[in-house]
Amino acid sequence: MTGIKRRQFCQLVAGALVLPGLAHGSTTGKHPMFASAARSQDGSYHLYLLSETGEVLLDHPLPERAHHTEAHPQRPLLACVARRPGTFIDIIDYRQQRLVKRITADSGRHFFGHGIFSEDGRYLICTENNLADGQGRVVFRDTEQDFRIIADYPSHGIGPHELQQQPGSNTLVIANGGILTHPDQGRKKLNLDTMQPSLVRMDMADGRLLEQQFMPAELHQLSIRHIDTNRAGETVIALQYQGGAEDNPPLVAVHRPDSSLKLLAAPAPVDIAMKRYCGSARFDRTGRYAAVSAPRGDLITFWDLQQDQFHSTLRSRDGCGLAATDQDAEFLISAGTGRCMSYNLAKGRKTRLPSEIKPAWDNHMAFLNG
Amino acid sequence: MKKHLSFRLSGILISSALFSSALVSSALLSTSVAAAPAEQDWQALNNTLVQQHILPRYQQLQSSSETLAAQSASLCQSFSPAQLEITREAYHQTMSAWQALQHIQFGPIQNLMRNFSMQFWPDKKNLIGKQVAVLLKEQKPETLDTEYMFQASIGVKGLPAMERLLFADQAENTLANNSYACRLNSTIATYIELNAQGTVSEWQDFATEISNAGDGESYYESHQEAAVDMMKAMVEPIEVIRDLKLLRPLGKGDKLRPKRLESWRSLRSLENLQINISTLHDIYSGGENRVKAMLENQGDTALAEELDTLFKDADRQLAEIPGPLYTTLTEGQTAAQLIQLSDTLKVLHIGLLTAMQKLDVQLGFNSRDGD
Repeated sequence: MTGIKRRQFCQLVAGALVLPGLAHGSTTGKHPMFASAARSQDGSYHLYLLSETGEVLLDHPLPERAHHTEAHPQRPLLACVARRPGTFIDIIDYRQQRLVKRITADSGRHFFGHGIFSEDGRYLICTENNLADGQGRVVFRDTEQDFRIIADYPSHGIGPHELQQQPGSNTLVIANGGILTHPDQGRKKLNLDTMQPSLVRMDMADGRLLEQQFMPAELHQLSIRHIDTNRAGETVIALQYQGGAEDNPPLVAVHRPDSSLKLLAAPAPVDIAMKRYCGSARFDRTGRYAAVSAPRGDLITFWDLQQDQFHSTLRSRDGCGLAATDQDAEFLISAGTGRCMSYNLAKGRKTRLPSEIKPAWDNHMAFLNG
Repeated sequence: MKKHLSFRLSGILISSALFSSALVSSALLSTSVAAAPAEQDWQALNNTLVQQHILPRYQQLQSSSETLAAQSASLCQSFSPAQLEITREAYHQTMSAWQALQHIQFGPIQNLMRNFSMQFWPDKKNLIGKQVAVLLKEQKPETLDTEYMFQASIGVKGLPAMERLLFADQAENTLANNSYACRLNSTIATYIELNAQGTVSEWQDFATEISNAGDGESYYESHQEAAVDMMKAMVEPIEVIRDLKLLRPLGKGDKLRPKRLESWRSLRSLENLQINISTLHDIYSGGENRVKAMLENQGDTALAEELDTLFKDADRQLAEIPGPLYTTLTEGQTAAQLIQLSDTLKVLHIGLLTAMQKLDVQLGFNSRDGD
């Protein structure tokens, strides 16, 4: 096991087992704060877990570049999903510092970079590409049966990317990006003229399609890739525009059950500065505010979804990864420059997070809350 | 670490049919890293580049676009073939100034999409052709107001739209007699002048942001961060020039495509390339305190020298190509010469990426290769 900070790790375990009351405090300084895949300065790829005070609590070498990292809601597990068109998902126990399982995609399949644990912790649910017909799939694996596949549903679209379980419900929300790719042609986009992105709501119990909303025809090149959901059933959508540089479409949308997608425009200079590309979307803890990152524009945008309007921006060079913290209106932001910060929207307060390493943080991060 | 990077770089080379790894010397691939440059080194580089490289070029753009606007107005007031030539020459001066700034994709030129407004290219959907044709057909008076240009599509308000008007086959007829086309050309020229003026005036403040990097108030958190923008301006265009200005017109081996050349109407595609390469070379080693000196200070003298040689190779190869490319592309050895140049640029790009690693500069991660 390379890169283990054994002393810190022991303190972490001790804190968790012996002094549970202190585990939430900062007195030990070893409380896990966030996990994210990254590229280290020597060019290799790792999954890191950092403490509140910036120590590396886990350094797990990855076979290739990864994309999304998800923390298990109850157990000390992290799931780190290969970047598309990768075929691995590493399940790591960060307390035991151990690779629990390296899941490999079935033959004729690859992952799209995103996977989540169900709210009850039982299932790992991922988006996959079925190469034979290019159709997206949503695949359930059972954490209690060595991650055996127990369900495999159509995503009802091409190129499904991020998926979320609506909190407190049995509904999955899936972003069908609409872009056809095939590993034989790398990451090349094969259907930009005909792409048809959609947002799907699915019943987790049986894979039944509850609702599907498409982008309006004139905006069919706005790829729906990154989403988050809140308890009210609202979904915030971070878009990526595949059309030309001459266009300047809105890059954020919101969806409410059984209604069409509502595009949200920022003031024109902000929309322009976002450079037709958003990288990640997250609600804050309350579900009222959303952050949407625009790494090509070195910007994080904030949105008030009680009023469906643009709130403000924050500069973050190459900033992409976002996570809600346990504070209202507060987000963590990670960047390809190696910098991370927390930002409290209500207080307008930006705090640099300490870190003993400075890798290029990859697109998505997970906040660990206990 | 060394092994890993070498593998990646040779992977890139193998993926290109044009290459064998033998073309790339060990200096270009060696990855031993000395201590990264200090903040004061980056500060010195930034200040040098702002004062000696960036600001003079924007000032040149401002003065040449002022002349272009004045000559374009004269062309409408009293048309003559001689005045048309003078106006075309003013256009060439402005385009030359812009080609020496095309690589600067940060700072005020980004505000309000000024960079696209100056020059939208390549225009794969013939947006400019279609939009200019609509304006010429409808001849609405309000489109001759500079205010209109601020709201107009990027297709109709930049240097390529002017090129279509000034270098049209029948320009001596279409621009005569204070025609709509002539006045449209003049309106666009005025807009370009305002665009250049705004950029220059905002650069006064932006230069201060750069020199005050890291003071807590600046746009930049550190001098190193500001230097990343400078380094991007040197490294990334090499790849863009190769892909868009060389390989696209060369086609995919089936057919040469002269109309994919930049500025083919004004027959200045080759001149654009010469300006681009010499401009990037200037960032690298055009004076004291440039990137080459930083590499030498790091102890990477072999790499530093080799990159300089590659820039010179590219300059020399360009000088040997006959112009104008629009007519010579399909003749003699021109295509082979352009392929040779694109090979040089590929090696140069790889070497510059190695140099960035030596200097501990991360050009971008999520912004360059997201998902």
